[in-house]
Amino acid sequence: MSSNYPARGWARVLLTYHKFSGSWAWVLHRITGLVLTGYIMLHIFALMSLQKGKAAFDSEMQLFRTPVFLFLEWLLFAFLLFHALNGIRIVLVDLAEGARYHKQLYYAVVIIGLILFLGMGYIMFSQDTVHAVAAVK
Amino acid sequence: MSSKYYGSRGSGAPAWYLQRVTGMVLFVVAIGHYILMHYHLDSGHTYDAVLARMQNPLYKALQISFVVLGLYHGLAGTWSIFRDYRMPAWASWTILGMLYLAGVVFGSLGVATILSF
Repeated sequence: MSSNYPARGWARVLLTYHKFSGSWAWVLHRITGLVLTGYIMLHIFALMSLQKGKAAFDSEMQLFRTPVFLFLEWLLFAFLLFHALNGIRIVLVDLAEGARYHKQLYYAVVIIGLILFLGMGYIMFSQDTVHAVAAVK
Repeated sequence: MSSKYYGSRGSGAPAWYLQRVTGMVLFVVAIGHYILMHYHLDSGHTYDAVLARMQNPLYKALQISFVVLGLYHGLAGTWSIFRDYRMPAWASWTILGMLYLAGVVFGSLGVATILSF
């Protein structure tokens, strides 16, 4: 259907089309998917320093241990969570009876995603707590 | 559209199904990877931690699967987005070629890094 629109029209359609939860899920799944695909290639490229040995890798990782990059990695987790949880929603719609309750599934995606996102934030930014747990074990 | 512009006679069903199967696998592997890399700041950011994990052949096999499945799922998904838009045949073939090239190049780089241990 979208191929019936001229190339310049798709952005207008995307912006003006009235969106329900399914439309938002569709749009966000694509955006997060494209971001994650770009990231996996960047990630593979960045980790090539592992081939150069300990000094090269640990030196590079000093940058990624900074609060700014940790915060960006946390934000990336939000993209991963939405894509992964909405992916489960898509599978349930396609292969189970998910079409009957796809709106409820969308809200579940958002709520579960938010909980896991905050949980990961706690893990990533409360290293003192993690150290304490490790010390007890 | 697919058979007319891309010379495919298939229904696309295997690719559609594979996208869901790889997605289900990646759901577990990707979230597990994130937790493993961040449960402790050193776990994902030091050479020694990576070296220790790479001593396990099963872990290396899992990482190779992650690279291959992740790239396949991502690039196939990207292609499915492009296919929703009307393009001249030369543009379609160019984009498809670039996606294949990206898969081969980054797949090779990722597997080479894992096998360097």
